[in-house]
Amino acid sequence: MVVSATTDGGQRKIRRNGSFGYVVPALLLIAFFFIIPVLMLLMRSVLEPTPGLQNYRELLGSTTYLRVFMNTFTVAGLVTVVAVVIGFPVAWLLAIMPDKWSRLVMAIIILSMWTNLLARTYAWMVLLQRTGVVNKMLINLGIIDKPLALVNNLVGVTIGMTYIMLPFVILPLIGILKSIDPAVLRAAALCGANKRQCFTRVLLPLSLPGIASGALMVFVMSLGYYVTPALLGGTSNMMLAELVAQFVQSLVNWGMGGAAALVLLVVTLVLYAVQLKFLNPNRAR
Amino acid sequence: MTQPFLSIKGIRKTYGQVIAVKNVTLDVAQGEFMTFLGPSGSGKSTTLYILAGFQDPTDGDILLNGQSLLSTPSHKRNIGMVFQRYTLFPHLTVGENVAFPLRIRRVGQAEIAERVSKALKLVRLEGFEDRKPALMSGGQQQRVALARALVYNPPVLLMDEPLSALDKKLREEIQFEIRRIHQETGVTILYVTHDQEEALRLSDRIAVFSQGEIDQIGTGQELYANPATHFVAGFIGDSNFINAEVLSSADGKAKLALPGGTVIDGVPMHAGKTGGKSASLLLRPERLSLSSHQVANGLAVTINDITFLGNNIEVSTRTGNGESLSVRLPFGHEAIASISRGDQAWLSFEPKSTHAFA
Ligand SMILES: Nc1ncnc2c1ncn2[C@@H]1O[C@H](COP(=O)(O)OP(=O)(O)OP(=O)(O)O)[C@@H](O)[C@H]1O
Ligand SMILES: [Mg+2]
Repeated sequence: MVVSATTDGGQRKIRRNGSFGYVVPALLLIAFFFIIPVLMLLMRSVLEPTPGLQNYRELLGSTTYLRVFMNTFTVAGLVTVVAVVIGFPVAWLLAIMPDKWSRLVMAIIILSMWTNLLARTYAWMVLLQRTGVVNKMLINLGIIDKPLALVNNLVGVTIGMTYIMLPFVILPLIGILKSIDPAVLRAAALCGANKRQCFTRVLLPLSLPGIASGALMVFVMSLGYYVTPALLGGTSNMMLAELVAQFVQSLVNWGMGGAAALVLLVVTLVLYAVQLKFLNPNRAR
Repeated sequence: MTQPFLSIKGIRKTYGQVIAVKNVTLDVAQGEFMTFLGPSGSGKSTTLYILAGFQDPTDGDILLNGQSLLSTPSHKRNIGMVFQRYTLFPHLTVGENVAFPLRIRRVGQAEIAERVSKALKLVRLEGFEDRKPALMSGGQQQRVALARALVYNPPVLLMDEPLSALDKKLREEIQFEIRRIHQETGVTILYVTHDQEEALRLSDRIAVFSQGEIDQIGTGQELYANPATHFVAGFIGDSNFINAEVLSSADGKAKLALPGGTVIDGVPMHAGKTGGKSASLLLRPERLSLSSHQVANGLAVTINDITFLGNNIEVSTRTGNGESLSVRLPFGHEAIASISRGDQAWLSFEPKSTHAFA
C-alpha cells in the first residue's frame, strides 16, 4: 500500500512539474502508426464494397465465421488454462529456489522469448510430427503403439502457443510469489492449516491478482495470434487472425478483413477494460 | 520429581558447518512466562522454530506433557505463535484472521463468532472485525496476531521478538498488555527478545542464550545478583569489569589482588574454562561507593566525568592502569559536593557482593 501511494505521488509530481510538450512526438508517433491505420481499417470495413454495416452483419451472422470466433476463444481459453496450470508451480519453484539458480532459469526463459517466433514454431512442428521426437519417445517407452496426431489440430496449437505464452504467466507471478512472506505461510501452518489448506486458503488468494493479470494477458495475446495457429493448427480450427489474413491476402476483401480485425480489437479492449477495473494492483484492498 | 510440562532436551541444530543451536536443555512449568534472552545469532529463534516444527533438530527431543512433539507436523502441534514480522493474512479481515484457526478446525459458525469476539476483546480490539490488516498500525496488527494465536487455546504460546518493529512507547504499552493477557489466560509463554529490559519486565524466568547454549536460567533477580558467567553478568544490568590477579581460591571464594595493590578476600569465584591466574571482577555501578578521601581496601581512581541523570548521578572514573569504571550515586550523595573532574577518589565495595570470573 505504501509503495503504491508513493508511486502515485511520484506520478502526480512528474505530471505537475514536467512539460506536456515532451510527450507530443510520442503522441504523434502513436497517432500516425497506430490510430490512423485503425481508423482507415474501420472506414474500409464500413465503406467496402458499398457503404453500410453489411460486412459486420455477414461476419456475425454466418455460422462459418461464428465457428472461427468459437475456435478463437476455445484456443485462447485452453492456452490460458494450461499456461496457468503449468506456470504457477514453475513460478513457485523459481520463487523459492536459491537466487543463483532462479536467475539462471529466468535467463533461459527470457532467452527463449528473444528467439525468433517462427523458428520456435517450426521446432515444435518437427518435434510433434508423426515421425517426430515426441511420438518416437512415447512409442519407445511403450506408452502408445501408433503415432499420435499432434500437429495440424487443436493439440498442436495448444502446445505451441502455451509454450510461447508461459513466460507471460511465469515472470509476473514470480514477483508476486516472492513478495509473499514465508512467515505468513508458517503462521497458517501453526494455525492448523495443512499443506493443501495453506495453498488454497492463503497462497492462492494472495497470488490471485498475479494469476488473473497473467491469464488475461495470455488470453488477449492468444486471441490475436497468427503464426503458431497457422503453422501448427489444422484447417478445421482456424482462428480469427488467420481469417483476417485470408480475407486480405487470398480474397483481397478489405471490407471483411477490416471488420474481423475490428471485432478482435473491440473484444481485446473490453477485456483490457475489465482488467483495469478489477485487477488494478494499485487499488486499495 | 513430577513430570515437567514442557521439556526441551539437549536440542542441537546445525546447518552444514554452522552451529545454530549447540545444546539447549530446559524445563518449563505450566503457565510460566519463560523468556529467551540473548544477542543476535545466539540461537533463540532456531530453538523456537524447532518447538513450532518449522525445523527438525539435528539432535535432542521436545516433550510436552511427556510426549515427544518431534514426529508431529506443525499444523497438528496446536501451538500458538506470534512472529517478529507481521503475518496477518492480508486478504482477510481482522475477524476472518482470528477465525482462521477455528475455521480450519471446523468449529461451528456461532461458536466462531463468539470466540473471535472474545479473543479480540482480550487484546482490546473489539469492533475492528471488518478492518483489513493493511489499515491497522503495527501494534494493532501484532495484537490481532496474538488474538489469532490464542483463539484456539494452545497449551504453549511462542513469541519471537513480536515487538521489535515497534517504537519504545508502544512497545512498553503492549508489554503491559501481554503481561495482563498472560495472567488472564494462564497460557504458557516462550518469549524471545534481545532487550533485557523487556525480558525483566515480562518474565517469570529468563534463559540467557549465548552462542547456541543457555548460560543460565533464573529469575531476573537471580541473574542480576548471582550471574553464573561473565556473559550473563555483562548482559543483565549495568556492569563494570576490571582485571584482577587470583592469589588463592577455595570453596568458590577467591582472594584477589586489584590493580594498585589492594587485596580483597571472600569474592564469589566462578571458575571458567581457563582457570588461570587472572580473573575478571564484576563491579555493579550502583553497588560502588565513592569517597573523596582514602579508605581502607579502597580502589584509587581519577574522576573523568560527572553526569546528572535525574534521580541519580553517573560518575565515570579511571583506575591507575586505565580501566574505566562507572559509578552510580543517588541524587544528593555527600561525595558529589567534594569532587570534581580530574580529582583523585577512592571506590569501595562489599567483596561478597561482587563476582569474579576466571
Ligand atoms: N537456515 C539457516 N541456514 C544457515 N544458518 C542459519 C540458518 N538459520 C539460522 N542460521 C544461523 O544460526 C544462528 C542462530 O540463528 P537464530 O536465528 O536462531 O538466532 P537468534 O538468536 O534468533 O538471533 P536474532 O536475535 O538475530 O533473531 C545464526 O548464526 C544464524 O546465522
Ligand atoms: Mg531471531
